[in-house]
Amino acid sequence: MTAIEVEHLYKTFRIPHEKRTTIFETLTGAFKPPIYETFHALKDINFTVEEGEALGIIGENGSGKSTLLKIIASILRPSSGKVTALKRITPFLELGVGFQSDLTAAENIKIYATIMGMQKREINDKLDDIIEFAGLEKFRDTKLKNFSSGMQVRLAFSTAIQTDPEILLMDEVLAVGDMEFQQKCLDVLSQYRKDGVTIVFVSHDLGSVRRFCDRTLLLNKGEQIVLGDTGDVIDRYVYGGGDEAPVSGNQNEPEMAESDVESVESEDKNSRWGDKTVEITGVEFYDKFGNKGSRFNSFDPMTIKIFYSANKKVSDPVFGIALYSENGENLFGTNTELKNASIGYIEGKGHVDLMIERIPMITGRFLLTVAVHTHDQKPYDWHDKQYSFDVMPTGRDAGLFEVPCNWKI
Amino acid sequence: MIVNHLKELYDYRNLIWQLAWSEFKLRYKNSILGYFWSLLEPMLMLLVLYVIFSNLMRVQVEYYQLFLLLGIILWGFLSRATTIGMFSIVGKPGMVKKIYFPRDIFVISSCITALLMTIFESLIFVMFMVLFRVPVSINLIYVPLILFCLLIISLGLSLALSALNVFYRDVQFIWQVLLQIGFYVTPILYTIDIFPKNLQQFILLNPIARILNSARDTIIYSTPAKAEDLLFMVVSSIFFLLVGYIIFSRFEPKFAEEI
Repeated sequence: MTAIEVEHLYKTFRIPHEKRTTIFETLTGAFKPPIYETFHALKDINFTVEEGEALGIIGENGSGKSTLLKIIASILRPSSGKVTALKRITPFLELGVGFQSDLTAAENIKIYATIMGMQKREINDKLDDIIEFAGLEKFRDTKLKNFSSGMQVRLAFSTAIQTDPEILLMDEVLAVGDMEFQQKCLDVLSQYRKDGVTIVFVSHDLGSVRRFCDRTLLLNKGEQIVLGDTGDVIDRYVYGGGDEAPVSGNQNEPEMAESDVESVESEDKNSRWGDKTVEITGVEFYDKFGNKGSRFNSFDPMTIKIFYSANKKVSDPVFGIALYSENGENLFGTNTELKNASIGYIEGKGHVDLMIERIPMITGRFLLTVAVHTHDQKPYDWHDKQYSFDVMPTGRDAGLFEVPCNWKI
Repeated sequence: MIVNHLKELYDYRNLIWQLAWSEFKLRYKNSILGYFWSLLEPMLMLLVLYVIFSNLMRVQVEYYQLFLLLGIILWGFLSRATTIGMFSIVGKPGMVKKIYFPRDIFVISSCITALLMTIFESLIFVMFMVLFRVPVSINLIYVPLILFCLLIISLGLSLALSALNVFYRDVQFIWQVLLQIGFYVTPILYTIDIFPKNLQQFILLNPIARILNSARDTIIYSTPAKAEDLLFMVVSSIFFLLVGYIIFSRFEPKFAEEI
């Protein structure tokens, strides 16, 4: 059975250049029509969510994810099109909606639970459980303003999960709080999944989306790019799959490479040095589909292509890379010499490729130094931390790197 | 449509009450002293106005203290309900943007908050009634209807004001001025008899004037309310509510975007 049906949904915001906020301004400006900027937040969105299904919504910031969720929750009205929800909707767009800092914990629970649609008797029955679950037994009659923000979130969360949703809308709730809290959220989400609650889940955390969602919708600038099996959609999102035309052959590579170098030079003189007997003209990253990109799923393969141009015949050059975290810690470094990949000589233009079978980094942005130098470390061309790529999490392990391991019990 | 909406509001009755009650508690800062101060305010106002009007201006009205106090309390209700109501949407951006329930719940609950505050203040009035040994009569049966009309008129005004205030932020200042004017053109300090007949008719176009007259007649002077006044009240409260809802629902879809 269908739980939510979205048909030809459009949402347009009109943003006036000069906002009129008073009657006076409106009257004096009556003969001067206001100029609007129209912003298409959502364009022709169509999908259905089946009962008991979990649908993920992913996309860049500003792609319309939250707007879509708010329209489903009837907080915003669609400009055209229709959203039909055939079940009761419980939105978790923010924890602690309506919390009043001057009221006590118990009073706030009552109000919040009522807002979340719980019945009076239910609230009275569960009040003690909620306070206990939040670990705030001693602070039952303390005013909320005396709570730390962590305590407030715990209070809100333990209240919110007492609701008995039919359709749950979740927006980035998991983004707040520490690891322990995020874990709690995920546990609750798993429980809801088991109980057959229909879930619409908006998140940047691709790991959680991958884990919880049967299907996923990818939005880009308000347009529905693809809807389908979560794994495929995440690949499409991370690798842009087909958004950019795949790089074909070598024809357009030198052009791109040159423009890259220009930007490097103008940026910072200190980040590039060497006598340029051999120049590095560009560095490109390729994903498992052979498409150029700068975003990769963790544990996927990747290829780094280093384009060079040698003005004369240079024998025995060494190409190397060094990988840095965003904070500048050196994580890894290697070169052709260390890997015993000897290059006899080079002349003219060409490229060397570094094949990475499996990206071991879990998540984050990584900086890359690329260099070519002589056998005895005299640099021809050194680009210090000039390139970067992003890694998207696929699993739920924490940290920077995966350590291959197993539990034995 | 109206029936469906009423049914929906009935489903949300707990929420309406919770919002109204928590606002009431917040207004009095949850303290005994807070309640005391809130009683002091109408008392002081009564004292000042009574001294001025009964001694200096020599207003001759039977039970003038009670006459004045009832006027102050009922006008105070209208002024308070519309003021709290006017801010009931703009004052809760978090709720408007992050959750959905029928938006008029904010306004309804703020009117109930004002009602609770007024009921509390009315304790003074009851004390005065006992103190002055004012006889009460069967005519008190009109009182609920009269007060209900006042509540509905306040709700209608609040609905319109709360919606307009989201889009035009100077509405709040304009309304404060209108309330000030209203205080003097409504027979709160004086009886309507001091004016010539034709002017009286004009003043009686104000439904609040009729409500005050009827309330005083039935509560203080043990006389039945005039049928004409009751009819005027009921019709005008329906009118106010209707216009209020029309304005409110015209602006309501854009609340979450504008706030």
